[in-house]
Amino acid sequence: MTSWTRRGAAALLAAATTSLVLAACGDDSETSSENGSGDGQVSGELTVLTPIFEGAEGKALLEEELLPQFYEQYPDVTVTVDYTDYGSLNEKLTTAVASGLVPDVMMMGVGWIEAFAENGILADLGELGITVDDLSEDFTPEILAGGVWQDDLYAIPIMLDTRFGIARKDLLAEAGFDEPPSSLEELREYAIALTERDSGGQLQRAGFDMLSMDLRQMYEVFLFAHGGSLFSEDFTEPTFNSPEGVAALQYLVDLMHEDRVEDIGFSSTDIDVHPLLNDRAAMAVGHNNLWIQLQEAAPELADQLVPFTITGSEPGMFFGGTLATVSAGSDHPEAAAALVEFLTGPEAALGANEQRGNVPARTELLDSEYVQNNPLVQFAMENLEIAQREGGVPQWLEIRGDFTPAIEAALLGEKTPQQALDDLAGEAREAMAR
Amino acid sequence: MTTKPSGTVAGSEPATARRWRSRRRPSASRKLRRAGWLMVAPALGHSILWIAIPVLATLVLSFTDYRVISAPRWVGLDNYIEIWNDAVFRKATWNTIVYTFFTVPVSMAVAVVIAVLLNQRIVGRTLYRAAFFLPHVTATVAIAMVWLWMYNPQYGLLNGLLSIVGLPGQVWLGNPDWALWSVIIVGIWQGIGIKMLIYLAALQNIDPNLYEAASIDGASKIQQFFSVTLPMLKPATFFVFVVSIIGAFQVFDQIYVLTDGGPANATTMMTYEVYRSAFQNFRMGMACAQSVVLFAFLIVLTVVNRRLTGGDDT
Repeated sequence: MTSWTRRGAAALLAAATTSLVLAACGDDSETSSENGSGDGQVSGELTVLTPIFEGAEGKALLEEELLPQFYEQYPDVTVTVDYTDYGSLNEKLTTAVASGLVPDVMMMGVGWIEAFAENGILADLGELGITVDDLSEDFTPEILAGGVWQDDLYAIPIMLDTRFGIARKDLLAEAGFDEPPSSLEELREYAIALTERDSGGQLQRAGFDMLSMDLRQMYEVFLFAHGGSLFSEDFTEPTFNSPEGVAALQYLVDLMHEDRVEDIGFSSTDIDVHPLLNDRAAMAVGHNNLWIQLQEAAPELADQLVPFTITGSEPGMFFGGTLATVSAGSDHPEAAAALVEFLTGPEAALGANEQRGNVPARTELLDSEYVQNNPLVQFAMENLEIAQREGGVPQWLEIRGDFTPAIEAALLGEKTPQQALDDLAGEAREAMAR
Repeated sequence: MTTKPSGTVAGSEPATARRWRSRRRPSASRKLRRAGWLMVAPALGHSILWIAIPVLATLVLSFTDYRVISAPRWVGLDNYIEIWNDAVFRKATWNTIVYTFFTVPVSMAVAVVIAVLLNQRIVGRTLYRAAFFLPHVTATVAIAMVWLWMYNPQYGLLNGLLSIVGLPGQVWLGNPDWALWSVIIVGIWQGIGIKMLIYLAALQNIDPNLYEAASIDGASKIQQFFSVTLPMLKPATFFVFVVSIIGAFQVFDQIYVLTDGGPANATTMMTYEVYRSAFQNFRMGMACAQSVVLFAFLIVLTVVNRRLTGGDDT
């Protein structure tokens, strides 16, 4: 045997050994668990990636209250949970997909489904026995549409994050207003009247706070209120730079620069206490979970917060939310679908919403004690028919990242609203063409 | 025909026998070579697995449209053309250059002065050294949280100090005119520690006789600093300069925590755009192309720097 032959044999042996070692270290789910017991009862080891159920409280809710109920129904299924937050969900999903270790069940936001469904990451729930028709009585059509891509159901909503106007009743009364503004003209008039500055011109109280909310979502409330939309009805063209979209952004720019109801830097999304709760703002675009912060930071204001729709040519309200999906590559699709059905069911969804102060997606939960005792959530649920979502195109995750700098550029006066939105629409078109 | 010193006649031994002997009894140099390969194998394996292959993969993927959630698609130079035409990436590149241009020289100058001071026999010298080095070993996220508070327009320390002297407060991180400078100040502050430590080590290697000779020649302390200390610190300066430039071009975490690249992209950097492309926009191919551009920048800067300093880093 020549030296080359020996070396070749040694290399082959090394490769074989490595393969055996790697195989031994690899996923053993195929051999260690079955895909169903064959008697109608599902089984398997599931992994779940979730940006909700965060913190010790959320973990306790999921693992000590909810999952034990699931195990009672499905004793042959075990669930391993990977917790994250929405800030890190992109990274988690990207690395999971790139590594091929996609969790069996993934929670993701409204506007995310299109991209993952388009690329075959998500299982068509219809093939697992869950259809849009089955759910149409439990959810409003617009909310259910957040989980649908090309007429197929890929996700079921658990909770909604809504944005609408919130005002301080006591501060309105001080300025002589009995009710929150009912039109954009009134909103401007009230905001100007409620703004307070010291003798040096330093802002003490914003008449209308826009900066504590993510700028994209804040803008979308006004876009919808102006009768605008993000995309054309067939989702082939961006329409947020339409006259309605430009008017919406111009309205915000005017509030900031002409009416000076708030100054740049007065608030931000990083603040610990919302300005409505420490008298630094009289009105704001708010999130339904402000009620939770109120109970912790300023319970004495419980009777003073009043929600209202921001109404232009039509009432504007934005909703995002969290939906449960099944991976198309799951080894245990039936078990994963069972878990999705359980987590989106009335009892589990109610617990998850209560923990986060969110709006249940299921219409039947409007009558629950939790909703009836939370004025902001109750308001959101009662107005869900006017709420509009974002997304709709598979490139939304890419497009949405460019929104905030564009809105900032307009608010800072670096670009006109028309320029900012035209540039953004140009980037959106490029993304959609790719 | 030649004769070997041992007296054997070259060529008289059968070739097969020579090969057999060489296989059975490796020569000393071959043994040494094998031992050498064995020694470097872990480092070599590490370098191939974790540096060479990822670099190669990055280069290849930079010519693709790779969305992670879909298979890579070859697009040739499209990503590079898009980078060339991308106003945001141009702004990020400019911001990175400005950030580097100010943080590196300023922090180096401050570091060398502090190192010289802390090289003297002063009370509490160890404590001071640890204090100056502390920002380097503290997590940037923790540092950024402290600076977030200092820059807070309402409750922050900086505006508090300004109000004491009757000056109006600023929106440090929310105003595009101030945001980049605010980030640069954090960068300078955080970078002083490690540079000071390297200079301190270099200072202790300078022959005291040089100072003695300079002193006998009548050089003042300042003249000694410029004529002895700085020239003798040249190798350390080259090292610090190169490492600092690379570090400054890779600034990411403080942007991520302090500004998210805003307002209106006023503080976005090349690395932050790489992150946005990869993890916010799911465009790994574009992120790879941006990384290649960043890599090219660093190579060019290092070569230029080496030329400027005469190529002498020893």
